[in-house]
Amino acid sequence: MTVALGLVLGAITLAIAVSDAGAGSLWRHAYHVPVVVAALRWGGGAVLAALAAVLLYTPFVLPALERSGPSPSVLEGLVTLALLLGVGVSSGALAAGVHRQRVRYETLVAVQRALDGEAALDVTLVRLRTSLEARLAGTIGLAVRDGERVALAGGAVLTSGSPAARVLSAGGPLFVPDLGGGMRPRRCFVAPLVGRGGTTGALALERRGDIGGEERRALLALARHLGLALENARLAARQRRFAEELAEKVTAATRHVVEMDRMKSDFVAIASHELRTPLTALQGFSELLATRRFAPAELARVGAIMNAETERLGRIVADFLDLARLERGLAPPLRRGPVDAGAVVGDAVEVLRRARTTHRLELDCDEALPKVDADPDALDRIVKNLVSNAVKYSPAGSRVRVRARLQAMPPAVEIIVEDEGPGIAAADLARVFEPYYRTAAGARVATGSGLGLAVVKSLVDAHGGSIRAENVAPHGTRMTLILPALP
Amino acid sequence: MLALEQPYVPSRAGLLDGTPVAALAMLAAAWGLALLALPAAAARGVGLAAAHGALLGAALAWTAPDPRRERWAPLEAALLLGAATLCARLLPGGAVAYLGVPAWLLRRRADWRAGGTEHARSALAGALFGLLLGAHLLVNASLTLGLRVRPAPIADLLGWLAYDLGANVLAAEACFRGGLFTRALQRWPFPAAAALSTAASVARYLVDPLLPHATGILAGATFYLALLGVGNCWLLVRHGSLAGPIAGGLLFFAAYRLLAR
Repeated sequence: MTVALGLVLGAITLAIAVSDAGAGSLWRHAYHVPVVVAALRWGGGAVLAALAAVLLYTPFVLPALERSGPSPSVLEGLVTLALLLGVGVSSGALAAGVHRQRVRYETLVAVQRALDGEAALDVTLVRLRTSLEARLAGTIGLAVRDGERVALAGGAVLTSGSPAARVLSAGGPLFVPDLGGGMRPRRCFVAPLVGRGGTTGALALERRGDIGGEERRALLALARHLGLALENARLAARQRRFAEELAEKVTAATRHVVEMDRMKSDFVAIASHELRTPLTALQGFSELLATRRFAPAELARVGAIMNAETERLGRIVADFLDLARLERGLAPPLRRGPVDAGAVVGDAVEVLRRARTTHRLELDCDEALPKVDADPDALDRIVKNLVSNAVKYSPAGSRVRVRARLQAMPPAVEIIVEDEGPGIAAADLARVFEPYYRTAAGARVATGSGLGLAVVKSLVDAHGGSIRAENVAPHGTRMTLILPALP
Repeated sequence: MLALEQPYVPSRAGLLDGTPVAALAMLAAAWGLALLALPAAAARGVGLAAAHGALLGAALAWTAPDPRRERWAPLEAALLLGAATLCARLLPGGAVAYLGVPAWLLRRRADWRAGGTEHARSALAGALFGLLLGAHLLVNASLTLGLRVRPAPIADLLGWLAYDLGANVLAAEACFRGGLFTRALQRWPFPAAAALSTAASVARYLVDPLLPHATGILAGATFYLALLGVGNCWLLVRHGSLAGPIAGGLLFFAAYRLLAR
């Protein structure tokens, strides 16, 4: 295009030279054609075309002016020179303005496209930067606040005191005439991205070339648009995320309710069975006592059986009552006082040993354990529950170790019950303390209400202690109970 | 990206901060003394060395990271130019001594050395620009003022070229483009910086006692020097090298010196 315009300018000059009319040649008007074409093609480039036309036409006008003074044809020539410059400047400015306007609209559309979709903020910023750099003829940087952090595009870090950081903190636009020195200054303009809550980010344009006042105003408008668009996109993304989270929570809650319902049904069945067993025994033995005569020794044995069954019934009822309190969010009733944890543990293990178990119950208590602030009955129940669970879910003849020791910091008594059973599946470990929850493997090995560990947990919590379940190598389960020691 | 990663401290330095005023004053005093005490030819030589030395020294001070280190550069440049002028006057082919000035300047300013494709492109564009402007000057001057191209011996042509390269064009481009325009551009937009630089360079030539003071010639000089100034500013911004403006100036002044007066 440049060569073609040069040729046209040359041809017009030749035509004027050949026409013999000199400065007054009608061909001089043809100079406007390449000037206007240059304006349409390059905008501001029309000035150069006009200047070239003036340079080419001057040798016809100035000699005539020198020879014959301001004759009509010379005046026409001078007017033509002025017109050429005027047309070049004005048409160039108009065309450049139209071009800029078009670029602005294209940029806005490109921004909307870049913000479209559900990409993460960092990805969106990279898209925006690429899109803007293609249209703004410079290097683009974006810094956008995202909670506590600042998401960036176009730089690895946001240095304190940098133009973008200044705009982020001060909120106003900043023009830097030269960032780096040298013969070609690196201009920079940073416009704040403004959302509903104030400055949310900064848009920086860096260029080796001018960033004029009009362009800065356009960038400010673009930044305002960008700020709102980014905020809208972020709000939409947050809304989508919220809806998804809500849907997930509803699904999980529904699943939980269904499972609770199933567990309660299981519990009713198990509880009926658990209650019926001691009741059947009590009913049978009481009938026998009513209808038959027994030798004193036999009578004592029957009485002991009925007493054991009554105790069992009492424990089951106590568990139900504790569960009822637990479900209402109430702590179990405790009568707390200084308790020798080692003695309670020792007694509990001794009682279970006497129950003729086939397991090897090993007790290992530290000397001089500090006292704990606890309800002795509740502590006894906790230890018995843990040890009897270990006995129930580990093979006959295996070892069950019970240890009680001092934990230094913070001062506490740690009671560990370890068995050599199959252990608990990893997925079940976190749930074994939930009411009604029974592991599949556990349900196969022994019957139970699924309330024991839930009650234990509620009692431990009420004492301000903690309990955790874990598997031990090569196989087995370890229950660790920690109770704060009294000073 | 510098806007994100580089701390920015607004500069409060003025456009002419760092000007080696003391050295410039000493050069002005030396010229004044020469006008009073020396014959006209010798005083002209001193004035030429002082003026070009002042321009070169100011350029060095304005573009130095620490202008205080260049506070005596105008004196050094003037001494060098004085020696070159003396050689050119006294020795046949002595004008070659002017080439010592660009060598001295480039030793002081490593970043002005003409190397690399951008410098070559700049030099080529500048040469083309100077050639077109010079050709237009020859055509227009011959048509308008009736001036003819004078045939000159090759030794004279080379001598003028050496003077332009070592003093006239080098000093003007280094000062008005490399120094003043660059500094102005770091503060203002291109049109304002180019206008200031061009106005200063046109004024420098209009006050040159060697320029004939006929109205037509002054008008023509203003027109062409303004075009040359703006064009060289554009070349400097476009390529970031002084090679283009110097090449453009050299070819334009070569054409100017071919005109018979």
